[in-house]
Amino acid sequence: MRRRERVFVVLLSPALIVLALVTLAPFAFLLLTSLTPLNLAKPATWWDFHRPLANFVDLPADGRFLNSLGVQLRLSAFTVLGQLLLGLGAALLLNRRSRVLEAIRALFIIPMVLPPIVVAIIWKVLFTPDISVLNWILGLAHLPQPAWLAEPRLALPAIVVADVWEWFPFTLLMLLAALQMMPAEPIEAARIDGAGTWQVFRHVVLPLLRPAIVVTVLFRLIESVKAFPLIFIMTGGGPGTVTEATNYYAFLQGFTYSLLGFSAAISVVVLAGTFLLSYVIVRWVGTRVDVE
Amino acid sequence: MSSEGNRRRRGRALSFGVSAVLLAATLFPVLWLAQISLKTDVEAMRMPPAIFFVPTLDNYAAIFQGRFARSFLNSLVVSISTTLIGMLLGVPAAYALSRASFGRSQRLALWVLTTRMAPPIAFAIPFFLAYRWLGLIDTLSGLLIIYLTFNLSLVMWMMRTFFDGIPRSLEEAAAIDGAGPLQVFRRITLPLSGPGLATTAIFCFVFAWNDFFYALVLTRSRALMAPVAIVNFMNYEGWEWGKIGAAATMIMLPVVLFALAVRRYLIRGLTAGALKG
Repeated sequence: MRRRERVFVVLLSPALIVLALVTLAPFAFLLLTSLTPLNLAKPATWWDFHRPLANFVDLPADGRFLNSLGVQLRLSAFTVLGQLLLGLGAALLLNRRSRVLEAIRALFIIPMVLPPIVVAIIWKVLFTPDISVLNWILGLAHLPQPAWLAEPRLALPAIVVADVWEWFPFTLLMLLAALQMMPAEPIEAARIDGAGTWQVFRHVVLPLLRPAIVVTVLFRLIESVKAFPLIFIMTGGGPGTVTEATNYYAFLQGFTYSLLGFSAAISVVVLAGTFLLSYVIVRWVGTRVDVE
Repeated sequence: MSSEGNRRRRGRALSFGVSAVLLAATLFPVLWLAQISLKTDVEAMRMPPAIFFVPTLDNYAAIFQGRFARSFLNSLVVSISTTLIGMLLGVPAAYALSRASFGRSQRLALWVLTTRMAPPIAFAIPFFLAYRWLGLIDTLSGLLIIYLTFNLSLVMWMMRTFFDGIPRSLEEAAAIDGAGPLQVFRRITLPLSGPGLATTAIFCFVFAWNDFFYALVLTRSRALMAPVAIVNFMNYEGWEWGKIGAAATMIMLPVVLFALAVRRYLIRGLTAGALKG
């Protein structure tokens, strides 16, 4: 038995060492960087720990950072809500035993597996007036044909539409799996007691779905911070700073203005939020949950 | 009785109809981009759009004569090698995690999940600084290493759940016959894990292949990746729609095929194995 345990340690160690090198070391380095005013253009700012918390003190006073939090909040809220509603609707629709529907299900996953850059290009094509088939259809119906991505009021909604399209297959898959393992008895019982379709859904199906919905929403919330390629290709954070989400703002500060110290501080804040949500997932649902 | 049957049949027809409309709406944007790749730029911008047109492969010929061909090859090399290294390190580790009782699996789960979920910018900054110092900016190896940040933990977590599903009784029988733990792993467990290994490898490949952010930040020209190379077709003078469409179609093709092959395990892969799909 002792020998067996030793073999396992040998099998595990290389992976854990590499994992620590590529994940823990960068986290530590990121944290250190966030305590410096590191500016790539000024060599003197390397390892300058004179005012370690300066970046974090500056953050709440930075209007553009606060704006980015607001953008991120709206982006996350609307995309996750959209994905939940569309995914739930589609899951209820596809939750029938049928060969045809099973074949169709597989095709619904395509948006979510596409390279994000391709998703961004797809929607850039649909929202750019020069080439937009969408605008042509609106024109046929004598409706206004806006320049979606250049219009301050429409740019963020356009990105939300693209993101909902990209990720509703995820909520669809998760909720469909939950629906399929739902026990049939309570639904039958409610039917026999004379409950209509809506009542069965509202009082039986929805409560049973709740845990799956909570987990799905948490996963999507965490991932919603990563809408980078959509913003980069579709709007570049504009017009103005209307679509400049926190992640994108950190990218600009770090890799356009070379202010890596400040950018690291923003990243630490975002990372803390991610960690908190991951912690909630692990605590609430344990390390593994069967959804099938 | 028959009106009940009628109602049910009508409900079925309705749900089929709505599903078909939803599916068409979901796939339309993808197909729309794909058809642009077969048109000239002038045709692509013509409204009303031509439903029947003479397709041309000029855009594909053009992109593969330029720098895009090289970037496509780069993407292939990096995605395949990061997959191989991730599997080589991660599969034995996953087996150990599955079979030994290390007892701290919750904390490890949190670690794996957090690294999987962390915003890429949090890794990009320290890696960028370290790579400048190590001379790894704009190299294929630099990208290969940063892709391990998500692929290694993905392999460990996914393969662990696969190994958990393989009954231990076979292994115990072999152990009684005198086989050591390494022999048991190689001769008994690994040959039974084919589908799990294939699925996990496909996930690693797809995640590396789909990356845009790290490739954007950590490369300039020599190690150009296909998703970043597309951006070069977006100039100030105007977007080369046909070429963009062709390049995008080429990039999404392998991913779509692979994804359809592993669709049963999609949830497991996208939630880092925290949920079994």
